[in-house]
Amino acid sequence: MTGASTSLTRRQMLAALTAGLAVPGRAHAAASVSPRVATLDWALLETLLAIGANVVAGAELRQFRQVAVEPHVPVGVTDLGLRGLPNFEALHHARPELIFNSNFYAANEPVLARIAPVETHSIYLPGTSPFALAVEATRAIGERLELSAGTAMIEALAAQLDRQRRALSSGDGRPVLPINLGDARHFRVFGSDSMFGEVLARLGLANAWTGPTAYTATAPIGIETLATMPDAWGLLIPPHPADAIGTLETSAFWNALPQVREGRVLILGPVNPYGALPAAGRFADLLTEGLTRAWNG
Amino acid sequence: MHGMAEIARPRPLERRGLAFAATGIGCLALLLMTVWMMPAVPGPAEQAERLRSILLWQSLMPRALLAVLAGAALGLSGALLQHVLRNPIADASTLGIASGAQLALTVALALWPALLVLPREMIAFSGGFLSLAVVLGLSWRRQLDPVTVALSGMIVTMIASALSVAIILARGEYVMSIFIWGSGSLSQQDWSGVLSLVPRLIFGVIATVLLMRPLRVMSLDDSAARSLGVAIHATRLAVLALAVWLAASVTAIVGVIGFLGLAAPAIARYRGARTTGEIAFGAAIAGGLLLFSADSLMQILGPGFSDLAPAGAATALFGGPLLLLLLPRVRSTLGLKTATAVPLRRLRRPETGLALLAVGLILLFALTLTLGVSDDGLVMSAGPAFTELLPFRLPRLLAAGGAGAMLAAAGLVMQRITGNPLASPEVLGVSAGAGAGLTVALFVVAFPSLPVMLGSMAGGALLTFLMMMALMARSGFSAERVLLAGVAAGALGMALVSLVLAQGDMRSYILLLWISGSTNRVGAMEAAITIGALVLLTAPLFFLGRWLALLPLGPDVARSVGLPVAGTRLLLALLAALLTAAGSFVAGPLSLTGLVAPHLARMSGFRRPGHQLAAALMIGAGLLVAADWLSRLVIYPYQIPLGLFSALISGPYLLWLLGRKSDG
Repeated sequence: MTGASTSLTRRQMLAALTAGLAVPGRAHAAASVSPRVATLDWALLETLLAIGANVVAGAELRQFRQVAVEPHVPVGVTDLGLRGLPNFEALHHARPELIFNSNFYAANEPVLARIAPVETHSIYLPGTSPFALAVEATRAIGERLELSAGTAMIEALAAQLDRQRRALSSGDGRPVLPINLGDARHFRVFGSDSMFGEVLARLGLANAWTGPTAYTATAPIGIETLATMPDAWGLLIPPHPADAIGTLETSAFWNALPQVREGRVLILGPVNPYGALPAAGRFADLLTEGLTRAWNG
Repeated sequence: MHGMAEIARPRPLERRGLAFAATGIGCLALLLMTVWMMPAVPGPAEQAERLRSILLWQSLMPRALLAVLAGAALGLSGALLQHVLRNPIADASTLGIASGAQLALTVALALWPALLVLPREMIAFSGGFLSLAVVLGLSWRRQLDPVTVALSGMIVTMIASALSVAIILARGEYVMSIFIWGSGSLSQQDWSGVLSLVPRLIFGVIATVLLMRPLRVMSLDDSAARSLGVAIHATRLAVLALAVWLAASVTAIVGVIGFLGLAAPAIARYRGARTTGEIAFGAAIAGGLLLFSADSLMQILGPGFSDLAPAGAATALFGGPLLLLLLPRVRSTLGLKTATAVPLRRLRRPETGLALLAVGLILLFALTLTLGVSDDGLVMSAGPAFTELLPFRLPRLLAAGGAGAMLAAAGLVMQRITGNPLASPEVLGVSAGAGAGLTVALFVVAFPSLPVMLGSMAGGALLTFLMMMALMARSGFSAERVLLAGVAAGALGMALVSLVLAQGDMRSYILLLWISGSTNRVGAMEAAITIGALVLLTAPLFFLGRWLALLPLGPDVARSVGLPVAGTRLLLALLAALLTAAGSFVAGPLSLTGLVAPHLARMSGFRRPGHQLAAALMIGAGLLVAADWLSRLVIYPYQIPLGLFSALISGPYLLWLLGRKSDG
């Protein structure tokens, strides 16, 4: 299995996603018809970019390019500054015709509404599944913008996760612990109610973290907690502070952990932990690729 | 400081020994409890046993020992600093050493990762020493007057914190480690922290012993010491370097442990330590025990392996009230002069001055309203382009101006009530008290409404200010006592805030936005509320000019002309607290406007309360309007929150002011 087939699925998915856009002429046509849209929310931004909407402005694009990596942000998109401190004048100058907003930035809504009509799609709400909400938001945004790539992306992701679940079902059955290092001594976990947790569930993998979590950033947890989950695969999801990995590698405690001694720690590529379907797909890809490669040595 | 040594009631030696023994037993019990409460490790018995022993010997034990060592290093550092500066409120936190070290590490971590090839400790030491150099450089010619030192230290701390928070915000949520590290987590996974601190502490103890004679001689005045053959400046510098190095080492390994260096020597003195050596080593022991107990409690009270809070935030929680408790018992013989008791010029025609100020403010407002940046650079807008931009610019400028004016008024009222020209919402910890109120509101109600937030902030501010006034009344309003209590109250308030920040959830986000003082999402309604509050709260002050003129002369004078002192004070305190709450709701707790604006008004020569109030209001408004404008200009399209930006421009001004005054 599997190295080859998984990398193929990744390409297939990307192909499916960009089907309507790959031809330059059609992409241009879509851009001229589709309304000019903007958003402060990264999950909505990646959704809009992935379904080929005519995005004119997004927030904190420098950081987005490093953390979310995919989808690619075209050069002409206006950077609105920090998500928590968006520059409304810059947004005004970008002349959007429609603004997509989420609950995180609800406090900005009165000001946003002065610039263009605002539509709210929230993906991270307490007590609800972010995956289901992301599917809902993708479908709704696709319909609103009359872009069929929305439904196509939902179906492609479902197919991808299905395929990857089958590929992973022959694995070692160990639980997986997705974490993001804060420094060499602390990390934050992603429980069952996080996007990563939901992707794990859809891939048929058990989440090693069963403790309480919040749908948003959780309190930092000491690395020693890893000792209480000796069977799990550790998944380190960047971005990590510059010196964290280096310090860990020299730490006696870290090196004594069963996961580390038995080579059950994977470092994935950066994924936005508060993303939508593109982030979910990217996480599933990176995870499947990493796990199958590790299982096969 | 040697005066302070005599204060604590002398205790028989054996009773002191008994107390130490009791504390030791208490700590041992705490250690056993943390071991006993360790969460179970799942899995096969053999593996579980091995992991359990790793946890015990690589995590729990080094952590316990590190707590003792770090506490001892900080306690020793604090005692040395207090001794050599002859300043009972000197400490790594109050001198800006800790925040300087933290800023240096934040910069290294977030902006120049290449710097991390250097040892963390070296980066921290450079930052800490640089801060201390600024603080001492500014107060050098005032013979390191403790009030000047503390004030400079507080301002350096605010500038450094503002920069750190700005960097954290600019980097988004991903610099989580700075949070953890900023609040001082002692969590360990091996002995490396202990191994790096042990030799440093041993060196520190040996150096202290070697420096003991010059240190003791330095308790005399400088000329006496010199005649005994002690090289005063060289010794001072050596001791300062040693103290900073100890504090920076701790900061580099575990982060900022607030307040410990202040509390530990105070405890040692209270327990009866009197000679220089007794205080230094007593402080080391007290610091070690205090940090250990704090950290153990956080471990025991937290669920599983999670701590209830980082130890650094916890010590500030314990340390603040402890110091406030000790305060009345500490009798200083320093006889501080207030740092600003310098004769100032008086304006001959203040009305003309006020008119000029008003014209200036109107011009500034017009400029900031029309001039802005777009992708094409600086643009002066007029006509339809201006009308389009007006809804984005007008509310935030109004809110910034209103907040600046309210903070200025709050500062002025506080200075008048206390008769202390250094009093201000920032210095007295009243802004931090408002933050504590907001924190409580966030805990009780998940998403509090605007009136609830404002009300709880006003409550926190009022409570803090009343507490300050009660303390000041008991201590005869000495400038030193006021500052010390203010530092303690401010640290307590900010400790509560950072406890919530360390939780890393939605509440932290709201608090972080509040600390940064952002006017970005202010709409017409918020602007109207701000201006309404400004009018409502400052209008009465103009009719209370007589009170404001009489109160600084002291309660006896005020009473002799028939002023109901207690009632007057209470009413003014209520107004000041409301002004602080409303002002810092918009501009955050760090803006320093409450200190700078009344100061500028006095310096310009407005002496009568009515004139000074009007001038301070306009200066405060102008300061924050200008800051708000610049904050969205300098790194367009990215913006710097108003409060942080204002601290970054007001802080250096205050430092310059302190430095300049030392000439005169």
